[in-house]
Amino acid sequence: MIQFERRTETSGVWTTISFAVASLAGLAATAVLLASTGADVLQVFGALVKGAVGSPKALATTLVKATPLILTGLATVVAFRAQIWSIGQEGQVFAGAMGGYLGAQLLAGLPALLFFPGVLAFGIAGGMAVAWLSALLRNRFGVNEIISTVMLNYLAVYLLSWLLQGGPWGETGGTISYHQSPMLPDAAFLPALMGSSRLHAGVLLPFLAAAICALVMARTPLGFEIRGLGYNPEALRHKGVNIGRTVTLIMLSSGALAALAGAIELFGVTHRLRADNLIGLGYAGIIVGMIGGLSAWGTVLAGLFFGALASGAVYMRVLGDVPAALVPAIQGITLFLFLCAGVLARYRIVRVVVQ
Amino acid sequence: MTTALRVEGLTKRFAGMIANDDVNFDLLPGEIHCLFGENGAGKSTLSSCIFGFYRPDRGQIFVSGEPVHVGSPIDAIRHGIGMVHQHFVLVPEFTVLENIIVGTQRSGIGLKAADARKKLSRICESYGIVVDLDAYVWQLPVGRQQWVEILKALYLDARILILDEPTAVLTPGESRILFNIIGEMCARGLSIILITHKLAEVMQSNRVTVLRKGRVVATLKTSETSPDELVRLMVGRDVSFSVAKPALAPGEEVLAVEGLTARGHWGETVLNNISFSVARHEILGIAGVAGNGQKELFEVLCGVRKPDAGAIRLRGEDVAGLTPRALMDRGVGHIPDDRFREGLVPEFSIAENLVLGWQRSPKYRTGLMMDRRAIADLARDMIAQYQIAARDETVAAGKLSGGNAQKVIIAREFLHASGLILANQPTRGLDVGVIEYVQRQLLKKRGEGFAIVLASEELSDLFSLADRIAVMFKGEIMGIVDPRTTTIAEVGVLMAGGREGGRS
Ligand SMILES: Nc1ncnc2c1ncn2[C@@H]1O[C@H](COP(=O)(O)OP(=O)(O)OP(=O)(O)O)[C@@H](O)[C@H]1O
Ligand SMILES: [Mg+2]
Repeated sequence: MIQFERRTETSGVWTTISFAVASLAGLAATAVLLASTGADVLQVFGALVKGAVGSPKALATTLVKATPLILTGLATVVAFRAQIWSIGQEGQVFAGAMGGYLGAQLLAGLPALLFFPGVLAFGIAGGMAVAWLSALLRNRFGVNEIISTVMLNYLAVYLLSWLLQGGPWGETGGTISYHQSPMLPDAAFLPALMGSSRLHAGVLLPFLAAAICALVMARTPLGFEIRGLGYNPEALRHKGVNIGRTVTLIMLSSGALAALAGAIELFGVTHRLRADNLIGLGYAGIIVGMIGGLSAWGTVLAGLFFGALASGAVYMRVLGDVPAALVPAIQGITLFLFLCAGVLARYRIVRVVVQ
Repeated sequence: MTTALRVEGLTKRFAGMIANDDVNFDLLPGEIHCLFGENGAGKSTLSSCIFGFYRPDRGQIFVSGEPVHVGSPIDAIRHGIGMVHQHFVLVPEFTVLENIIVGTQRSGIGLKAADARKKLSRICESYGIVVDLDAYVWQLPVGRQQWVEILKALYLDARILILDEPTAVLTPGESRILFNIIGEMCARGLSIILITHKLAEVMQSNRVTVLRKGRVVATLKTSETSPDELVRLMVGRDVSFSVAKPALAPGEEVLAVEGLTARGHWGETVLNNISFSVARHEILGIAGVAGNGQKELFEVLCGVRKPDAGAIRLRGEDVAGLTPRALMDRGVGHIPDDRFREGLVPEFSIAENLVLGWQRSPKYRTGLMMDRRAIADLARDMIAQYQIAARDETVAAGKLSGGNAQKVIIAREFLHASGLILANQPTRGLDVGVIEYVQRQLLKKRGEGFAIVLASEELSDLFSLADRIAVMFKGEIMGIVDPRTTTIAEVGVLMAGGREGGRS
């Protein structure tokens, strides 16, 4: 008889095996899914890989796509590690883009060295404002952060929708409105890293942010408190940590990271304010952060993986009639299997001889 | 006679250490068999292996002479083994009844609450256990939660019951009741494995197995041994049970409490017009049956509970209502009675727990970063000084044995406090050797000029340590007595709500 048995300590090898098995199972499940749509599985996978890492251009796209995912993933890590279940990343991405756009209006004409930090700061401030509302609701009135952040997500999405359609920021051409803002001036485009490619300078920020997150979590008193808050808030309260203030700080940091994703999308990719590029980045970030094991560098890896998927998917779709929903499906499958692997890593399989 | 339970050659290793080393142990039907040993000797580990919580690396378990495989608590229950853990595992939001039937239901999907209730009432009645089955667990004092755990085991028809330090959280009265029930169980043929650090309780058993550093040192008939011999076997040296308290004149007043009143969650009065003071070089003992306001008093004094009326003066400054942080910065150290909930972050390492609350202190920082080297050095120091049984300072506090976890808290508070120490049941769950050490430390702090408020359910502790003893009953101080001119019996009267006895 085979039995599962809880481990008293986790083993590195077994954990690696668990996640490797999960990855392979994810691949297999995806193949089955593809086959069921009648597609040529190998050809599609080939296209996927080629589109993700097959050329410098594909690599650039992967990085660009990974950028917002890593940032919203990090936003998740910061909050979830403290067991603050903020799922406001979605709204904060929108707030970040709106804040950035507002900044671009106000700071137009400044030299680039001041302009970009300035507009990014505006974006970050937007996300922090939304996050601060949730923190306030939680600390003052005991409102659960899951509920408040979801509500604020809707608020942010509808606010953008209003601003662009009928509101002051919409682009109107003749008689129709396009549900987007006018193009930003060239000076407001994040500079490209290499020549005229789409690889904008913003792709460096997630790595910087991850490094800072990892350092803060592991080495600073704030990180100590964030981790402690997740494990045992009662002991922290007894030992003089101001729980309310720490919660606010955590939500603000999380909001700032998510907002940065929105602002970078605006200045680096779309160059105009529009919703369709932003939708889902926040929710995907939750998945990325979870798959990354709520660690900063794990999140970078997971973000790069899903960035590659998204980049490969573009190429794949050009190639043949593969359903667009494939990428979110793979995300879902991977998350599910990784969560399973996370549980599995804590057990061992034993053979029991029945007497 | 066949043994109820036999363990042969059991070995259990945790990363880097042996918790049980080739342990042989047997339990006769109807017997109370004590496991006795220092903190970290491996008592809880041995019982967890028997209960299927841990998987031993080597060894065989026999129940009624038959070799069995106990791979999980479910297996253990099937073999009639029940266990009450050192740290309870109840769901606070469930009622007593729900806690017992959830997870213990053997067949069917629906919870057959009515049947369970009938069976439980019958068990309660036959043993004389008084528990309200419909009370929520969070409403119960810890002592009562113990009954719930025992009921659960009886409900599952356990024939062998493992009790891991059951009396650590019980009042002396409750302990007596527990021992009556244990006696009754044995009379009915159940066998008990009892883990305790209290010698008076050990002496009530039939046999004792002494463990040291994971090994069985001896198994003795209780009637043929003595407390002194047991302690010598346990620590390998003599332990003096009464520490010498030098006479010291109290210095200036450190803490003065006047008319302190506090209300509980439902508006009930939990502290009623409490007044006392403690001076430098003085230990004020707080006697009283647990649940009479001691916990609330300590919470108010350390700032986690707001008082409703009254004044608290620390060196003349009114500190009533200040935050824990502000009080810690004024030199107040606090040893809470619920160590894993209020005193430690179990997932943090020993080193991290030793600086918990002081993580922002410049002492433990280099610039913005925490100074890992300094913290590790400190932790290694403390581990050596308090003889904390752990591989190194990176071990998670939650993996320490109960007594060693307590040592981490004591080490931290003694290290950071200056002037006032609030200690609520600091020696609960410690072995006699460590109790002696902690008592010496308290007296040393007293000698250094600290004021100490010390609550203990062990009156003998208070009589040997305290300069004055305040007795609490139902949130009030019934009297403050001088241990030199008062007997334990007189304090007992006050603890039960009597008023006689002089104030000083
Ligand atoms: N899950 C675990 N992982 C690693 N080490 C552990 C674990 N559980 C226990 N230990 C170690 O095994 C040793 C024995 O612990 P155990 O809890 O059995 O002691 P004990 O005799 O019950 O002590 P106490 O009287 O303090 O409760 C201790 O040194 C402890 O640190
Ligand atoms: Mg123990």
